[in-house]
Amino acid sequence: MYSTIRELRFALNDSVVVMALAIAAILACYTIWTGSEESTNERALIERVTALVTEDREFALAEQSDAGGAAYYAYHFTYQAPKALSFISRGVRDDLPWKHRIRMLALEGQIYETDTGNPELSRIGKLDFDFVAAFLLPLLSILLLYDLKAAEIRNNRWEFLSATSGNGLRLLSNRAAVRSVLLYLSIIFPFAIAAVFSDASSASIKVALTAVALNVFIWFVLALLITYKTESGPTAAALLLGIWFTTAVAIPVVGKLVIEYTIPLPKGGEILLAQREKVNAAWDLPKLDTMTPFLKQHPEWTNEATVDQPFEWKWFFAFQQVGDQTVAPLSQALHQGTSKRDEAMHLVSLTSPSLYTSRTLSQIAETDIASFQRYNRCVRRFHARLREFHYPMLFGRIAYSQEQMKLLPIFAPCERLT
Amino acid sequence: MNTVLLIARDEWRFWRRSKLGAAAGLLALILTCASLLATINQVRSERETRVALQSEAEDTFRNQPARHPHRMVHYGHYVFRPPTALAALDPGVDPYTGTVMFLEGHRQNSATFSPAYSGAQAGPFALLTPALSYQLLVPLLLIIMGFSSVTREREAGTDRQLVTSGISPTTIWLGKTVALLGAATLVLLPLIVGTALSNASGLISFGFALLYALYLTTWVLIITAASAWSQRASSALLALITIWVTLCIVTPRLLASAAITNLPTASQIETDMEVIVALRDVGDGHNANDPAFSQLRANLLEQYDVDHIEDLPINFRGIVAQTAEAKLTDVLNEFAERRMASQMAQSHFVNTLEILSPFAVLQSASMIAAGTDNQTHHRFLREAEATRFQFVQGLNRVHAAKMAYSDDINRSSDPDAERRTRIDPENWRVLKNFKFQPAPAAQRLTQLAPNLLLLGLWMILAGWIGWLGARRLVEVSRV
Repeated sequence: MYSTIRELRFALNDSVVVMALAIAAILACYTIWTGSEESTNERALIERVTALVTEDREFALAEQSDAGGAAYYAYHFTYQAPKALSFISRGVRDDLPWKHRIRMLALEGQIYETDTGNPELSRIGKLDFDFVAAFLLPLLSILLLYDLKAAEIRNNRWEFLSATSGNGLRLLSNRAAVRSVLLYLSIIFPFAIAAVFSDASSASIKVALTAVALNVFIWFVLALLITYKTESGPTAAALLLGIWFTTAVAIPVVGKLVIEYTIPLPKGGEILLAQREKVNAAWDLPKLDTMTPFLKQHPEWTNEATVDQPFEWKWFFAFQQVGDQTVAPLSQALHQGTSKRDEAMHLVSLTSPSLYTSRTLSQIAETDIASFQRYNRCVRRFHARLREFHYPMLFGRIAYSQEQMKLLPIFAPCERLT
Repeated sequence: MNTVLLIARDEWRFWRRSKLGAAAGLLALILTCASLLATINQVRSERETRVALQSEAEDTFRNQPARHPHRMVHYGHYVFRPPTALAALDPGVDPYTGTVMFLEGHRQNSATFSPAYSGAQAGPFALLTPALSYQLLVPLLLIIMGFSSVTREREAGTDRQLVTSGISPTTIWLGKTVALLGAATLVLLPLIVGTALSNASGLISFGFALLYALYLTTWVLIITAASAWSQRASSALLALITIWVTLCIVTPRLLASAAITNLPTASQIETDMEVIVALRDVGDGHNANDPAFSQLRANLLEQYDVDHIEDLPINFRGIVAQTAEAKLTDVLNEFAERRMASQMAQSHFVNTLEILSPFAVLQSASMIAAGTDNQTHHRFLREAEATRFQFVQGLNRVHAAKMAYSDDINRSSDPDAERRTRIDPENWRVLKNFKFQPAPAAQRLTQLAPNLLLLGLWMILAGWIGWLGARRLVEVSRV
């Protein structure tokens, strides 16, 4: 106990330690703050766009005199609102879409639309809490811990200390532990405060606390082992930096390359192209070429499916659906392949503390691939509901009326299914 | 001069002896060569693929069967942005913007399908391009090789021996710098080879290599300066790692997030909604009865001196489509330009402050040299839009000239009229070939001149600080 207090005093009198801790705390506070701002902005954006799209839909629907026009011109806003802990990690939220404006046309032509910001800034990357806690934290750890033993040797105290405290390792580990805990606290404290004031579940807060603690602990052990084995501080530091480089940069890069090579995916572009060709070709094909595959999926409309005119709305929407049906295998392959890649990347991350921490934080922030796929499924379900709603009117089983249109489904974010 | 080389050679010998220096040097070489090999082939084949896809898309369009010209407007067309010669080394914004664009009537699409869409989530360093390894990782490896260069002599007391034997401290510092410069040159070789092998113009290749040479020289000078100023190797390392994290990791990201916070850009959907509201007055080009076109109708009736639009020698619907498309395009262009301008304002914000970090200076200059910056992408967007407008209006002119109004309005209910509105595929030749070229080399070089200057300034600053540190070496040694 006494030695811990002594070490604490030592640490806080060391300007290097204080500087490193200050950097950690400042970066943590800054990223928590900007992350929270970003979530607030996104919520405000969702509210604004919802109002705009609703207003536009009502404007467009008021002019429509038939079921086809109503289905064609009614746009819907779908989105995934930032979750309670989204402020700690941007995850894939800047690269993959989390909001769409969709309508009854073929969904495959709409769902890959990605609304990203300035690509030059995306390229630089974001400084979020995730980055600080997963990738910068080890570097700060190295700065705090690499010189522990070498400094004592340099000051000719090592032999003395080893002799008096019985075991040099104990002294070293004591000192390293105190510094690591201080580092952990300066990074986690801003998070803990923000998390308590958010609606986050205590379970996910605990996951974040543990993940970052684990990252600190791993670097504590690594630093201790390496400083104990090496005589000179610089050699220890270079070795530790090498480990950081290997785990934080090399493993993710190589892992990603290998995974993307071994798990090939249909490109979104191919899906879009195939779907578009199908939909466009339908205009020139006999109506039966569209209606037959459509009825295979929807036999309930068999009695209403005769198309007499060169253009009929039900035929138009039928070939939109057939376009989706045609590329459904590709689309499912993309969906499943993305999950597979994600699972493989999870395995890779087990060998990289930084990547593992980052992915864990992204997971509880619900900004990871899995969360993006949940949103995707949610949009697909909503689009299916739209079809269920419009088909009875398009096929003439229910008469089109403004009254009936009041029952139009409105998008609501899906609850997480656990 | 000989003494300088002698000291440098001694340093090289030290690296060979100490596993650390050798390992770091080797790692740097492997890293850069590997990233080079991985990308150079990929971009070369990518280029051929996209050029082939482009002419395929053009053939597909022109070989469409007879149909209503407006169907062709919606059928649309693809344009591809082939990677530039240096995109292998620095893909810049390409992985984020996507490089394929679908062109159709009444809409300006964004370029789609960035590779990020289906990529595995592998952390912030996952897109390791050759450029990024030179910008980010080579300096780190140089730090590991060079942080102890001067301090080692000081800690062993050998600097005093050297000084007493008549070698000035400045010479020692210079020798160490030359040694590390040698290592940097060796690491730079793959980049120079890669630049030479690419089809880039000589001027651009030279500018590109020069940027990286200046950047690495700056780092070499920063490293020997820190080493000269430090009493101990460990404090030199501490300082250098802090500098590296600050310059290469934290500052650029802070600049980016400050740009977003200070100059937020509207999201695409919000802009789309503004466009929709702005377009309500333009009228729907599919609907010739839209009140927005009543003035147009009156003018045409007067011009041709007839009473009914059926009597016009041209198809009124085609005229409406043309007019609506032109008005709509004006509105779309206005918003697109606004969006591009707001992105450029963000980039400009970053560019003005990037003097704070040679990493940021190099990063933006490298993209300009490679022709993979956002400005080049905007150039692509504008050219693609010009192509879109040209073929859509070409089809609309055909729509107005080559079919009877009565057929056009009855085609949804009368199969014979419908057949007559399908016009000869000969008309699909209105589509022009698309070939994207980035801005000429000279223009891009002028554009990155300020960055070259800034890197030069950083280099001089680091050199000056190192020189001061070396002179301080004398006083310390004399004590």
